[in-house]
Amino acid sequence: MTRPENFNMPHHKDKATLLERLIFNNRPVVIALCVLVSIFLFWQATQIRPSTSFEKMIPLQHPFIEQMMEHRNDLANLGNTVRISVEAVNGDIFDKDYMETLRQIHDEVFYIPGVDRAGLKSLWSPSVRWSEVTEEGFSGGEIIPNTYNGSQDSLDTLRDNVLKSGQVGRLVANNFKSSIVDIPLLENFPDPQDPGKLTKLDYQKFSHQLEEKIRDKFQAQNPNVKIHIVGFAKKVGDLIDGLVMVAMFFGVALVITWALLYWFTWCIRSTIAVLITTLVAVVWQLGLMHAVGFGLDPYSMLVPFLIFAIGISHGVQKINGIALQSSDADNALTAARRTFRQLFLPGMIAILADAVGFITLLIIDIGVIRELAIGASIGVAVIVFTNLILLPVAISYVGISQKAIARSKKDAVCEHPFWRLLSNFASPKVAPVSIALALVAFAGGLWYSQNLKIGDLDQGAPELRPDSRYNQDNSFIINNYSTSSDVLVIMVKTPAESCSIHSTMAPIDELMWTMDNTPGVQSTISLVTVSKQVIKGMNEGSLKWETLSRNPDILNNSIARADGLYNADCSLAPVLVFLNDHKAETLERVTAAAKTFADAHNKEGLQFLMAAGNAGIEAATNEVIKSAELTILILVYICVAVMCMITFRSFAATLCIVLPLVLTSVLGNALMAFMGIGVKVATLPVVALGVGIGVDYGIYIYSRLESFLRAGLPLQEAYYETLRSTGKAVLFTGLCLAIGVCTWIFSAIKFQADMGLMLTFMLLWNMFGALWLLPALARFLIKPEKMVGKEGGSIFAH
Amino acid sequence: MREWLKADARRGALALTASALLALGTWTGTAQAAAVAEYSVESAKASQSLLIDAVHAGKRLVVVGDRGHILFSDDQGKTWTQARVPTRQLLTAVFFLDDKRGWAVGHDAQILASSDGGATWSKQFEDLSREAPLLDVRFIDAQHGFAVGAYGALLETTDGGQNWQDVAERLDNPDQLHLNGITQVKDAGLFIVGEQGSMFRSSDDGQTWSHVESPYEGSLFGVTGTGQARTLLAYGLRGNLLRSTDFGDTWQAIPLEAGRGPLEFGLANATLLEDGSLVVVGNGGSVLRSRDDGQTFTVYNRADRIALAGVSGLADGGLLLVGQGGIHLATAEGAEEARP
Repeated sequence: MTRPENFNMPHHKDKATLLERLIFNNRPVVIALCVLVSIFLFWQATQIRPSTSFEKMIPLQHPFIEQMMEHRNDLANLGNTVRISVEAVNGDIFDKDYMETLRQIHDEVFYIPGVDRAGLKSLWSPSVRWSEVTEEGFSGGEIIPNTYNGSQDSLDTLRDNVLKSGQVGRLVANNFKSSIVDIPLLENFPDPQDPGKLTKLDYQKFSHQLEEKIRDKFQAQNPNVKIHIVGFAKKVGDLIDGLVMVAMFFGVALVITWALLYWFTWCIRSTIAVLITTLVAVVWQLGLMHAVGFGLDPYSMLVPFLIFAIGISHGVQKINGIALQSSDADNALTAARRTFRQLFLPGMIAILADAVGFITLLIIDIGVIRELAIGASIGVAVIVFTNLILLPVAISYVGISQKAIARSKKDAVCEHPFWRLLSNFASPKVAPVSIALALVAFAGGLWYSQNLKIGDLDQGAPELRPDSRYNQDNSFIINNYSTSSDVLVIMVKTPAESCSIHSTMAPIDELMWTMDNTPGVQSTISLVTVSKQVIKGMNEGSLKWETLSRNPDILNNSIARADGLYNADCSLAPVLVFLNDHKAETLERVTAAAKTFADAHNKEGLQFLMAAGNAGIEAATNEVIKSAELTILILVYICVAVMCMITFRSFAATLCIVLPLVLTSVLGNALMAFMGIGVKVATLPVVALGVGIGVDYGIYIYSRLESFLRAGLPLQEAYYETLRSTGKAVLFTGLCLAIGVCTWIFSAIKFQADMGLMLTFMLLWNMFGALWLLPALARFLIKPEKMVGKEGGSIFAH
Repeated sequence: MREWLKADARRGALALTASALLALGTWTGTAQAAAVAEYSVESAKASQSLLIDAVHAGKRLVVVGDRGHILFSDDQGKTWTQARVPTRQLLTAVFFLDDKRGWAVGHDAQILASSDGGATWSKQFEDLSREAPLLDVRFIDAQHGFAVGAYGALLETTDGGQNWQDVAERLDNPDQLHLNGITQVKDAGLFIVGEQGSMFRSSDDGQTWSHVESPYEGSLFGVTGTGQARTLLAYGLRGNLLRSTDFGDTWQAIPLEAGRGPLEFGLANATLLEDGSLVVVGNGGSVLRSRDDGQTFTVYNRADRIALAGVSGLADGGLLLVGQGGIHLATAEGAEEARP
């Protein structure tokens, strides 16, 4: 965005602004202040911890989630449980050693902080029972009787009890080769040391405890068992562990950027100055994040990378400018001052454009995205201080090597075949072809992106890669047990003590049948399921009785043991709907069916409330994402267009800059459809980030092009001069940004890899679009002859 | 620890808690609401819902079960059509006199009738106040029939079901034991079995009934004539299968061997096939077959161990089984072949 200093503009016309004098007359103070702030924020940054919570990942304002939160205490452990499946590698679970290991695991889990001990369930829990019908009636007992001693006899009894318990497929695998320890968690629990204090569950710590105290310990102790762990807390723990790898990526990005930077500047001093000031920006950003109370979650991890990349790209502009100025300035200070004078305003505008892109994300009602938006906005604000102010001041002390100055002088006069070739994009012959190609690509992209899906598409935990340990454990459980991991919970609300009356149970029964008949539903469970089974049991196991009774006493008694399927005062009963998968179509169809039912059957004293369970949360998230998707796009484009209008005061210029971005957005969607990446919490921000950052290139190029056109050059020649002075910086900026994010493609966390891929694509393609399409559009939209000699409305034309 | 919940809980003898009182108040309202005619919902999964009884209406197969589901098939069970039925209650039994006229009974003491081979049904009787189901139905001719049910219910019609009278007092059943099954025995009369091994018989088309001394104190779920004169099978809890050749004067327990010992599953229903063999089905995927008029049975337990409630023969020698999971087309032995 530097003006073509050595070309046609008078150099020293501009007066030093107040801001410039304030900064450059007090350089030691500026440096000292920055050092002090850096020390303070570095101290803050060292305290930042990876963290995330259940609530931050879900849209809290969505009616589904509001209902879920309102009734979460009544939905005993439907939201947050961990399941440990203990597999007998050889033989089956009816084995003395296996049962002993299972007992020890049960006991060990009991004492892990955060476990809701009352709800802990395994074959060893007294609450897990069997029942059968005899001539005398209905009898039952604990699955593992008090008399159990590990003998073959008691193991045979155990086998009989398991068969009679109805737990096959639930607590016991269908093939009897594994069984489950079901662990409900408390998000806040009394501190073991100080019971008066509530401690927040630390997912990473909890996940590590499961690994150390359960998986590693018992697999070592009994080689015949293999342990599989699934559940939200474990997943999040694994995610946070995956973040450690991300720190390594930062190192890689740093090294590559350094090499590129040196190649660009040929000056070790300025390379280091740019790197250090940019790292200072990252430290400030992290420190401020901690200071305002945010942790580093798997989403906001992206921010330091972005800040680093954006910082480097602004640093490059500065160095480029200072090198150009140095060729005819007496000393480094003067060169730095002049560069500051010329670049501060354009730099601010570019940063503003970035910030606008980030801030539009605030409209998405999901904690992690909002934190990402706020974190990134803080980050770009920090760049104003570090790279727009601190960097020129630093350079004014250290200067730029003679070699670099000589090179920039040479660049300014010699002929560049590459840029000459690229300038053909502005020629009257090539431009129509370019436009036609772009239209074809646009139409093709639009057509293909119809395949784009909302939500997560893979089986298991979509946050992690399909071959990750967690997902392997998850597919083990899906394959060996009858309950799928995708559960939609519909809450049935009644006045107190009314959950078991016939006028409540009969509609629940009807709801279950409606859901059973909805494609995508595997099975349903509620207190009605239990009631029917118990009534059948009370009638000697006769199927002719497997239905709800109109007798209130029978009905009331029948749910006595339906643990967890109604709340303490019998005013809320969850209906669990197990789904085949969590594809957006499935979720939409199932929630629509449930809503239709609810609308038809809600009345005074009986309400069907949507929705809890992981599928309920995903359905809500999908709805939020779907409604935000278009809004975000429209908002970010409006903001960018308005910024362009303010900057260039020209409708044609705005079109020239914005249209290539539109093509990128469309192609980006097509790429996501092609790669099987859905629009989700992770990829939605990419749209805004890609457009917000991508507009920089257009602004850089157009501002130069405009000034050359004003100087009277024909379009193609003006474009050649634009490329010669700024092409390299644009190319370099694109590379810097892409490198910053592309290391993410290798992340263990699937959505980070998706974000990395999409951002890399969007940033590179935006650069390409600016170099290729902008001049072609200018050929059709801009009348160079009208611009000659005009001061114009652009704010760069002082 | 063992619990004994059954007998008393069922009678509502448990003290009424505050919540139960509250529940009762609301329940009365529902009973009135439910009286409004509500047709069963047609759905793809009806053939997989809980189904209880399967019979022939001429060549047509008719099955009944949960949520007022009645389905019929004219191609030996390959495809099924769901009938229009004015109830959503669990239906417990169905009887067809010929290929047109049939009756089904179920919860809320409902009696439904069809005169078009089971395609459409109308409600003949319903009594919500009983809070109990009818469990079996039998017609002697187009006019005269009986329905039996819980708490000793015995209903009679002499006009094809236009009117049903409660004739429970004809039975000597002071404890109001459930009456689970009724059948007509060749050259003998009507026979009823029920809870706690109760048995009643009538030789005058149900006008008078006498109590039969039972050899078994557990519940009997059904009774079926073998097709031979005065010969019948009664069956019930824990693999108990009884045979009489003298209309119940004397009984012989039929031993049933199932792999590791005697069969322990409850037996729910039986049918007489066209070739004269008898098939009994029950819980635990039990399918029993006799080719000697019920003197001996082979025992087969399906791999899926599902509870079976009804059985009917297919033209190809296979079996139509119903119960948990709805309709199962099975081999002659009882193994799963297909599900429509």
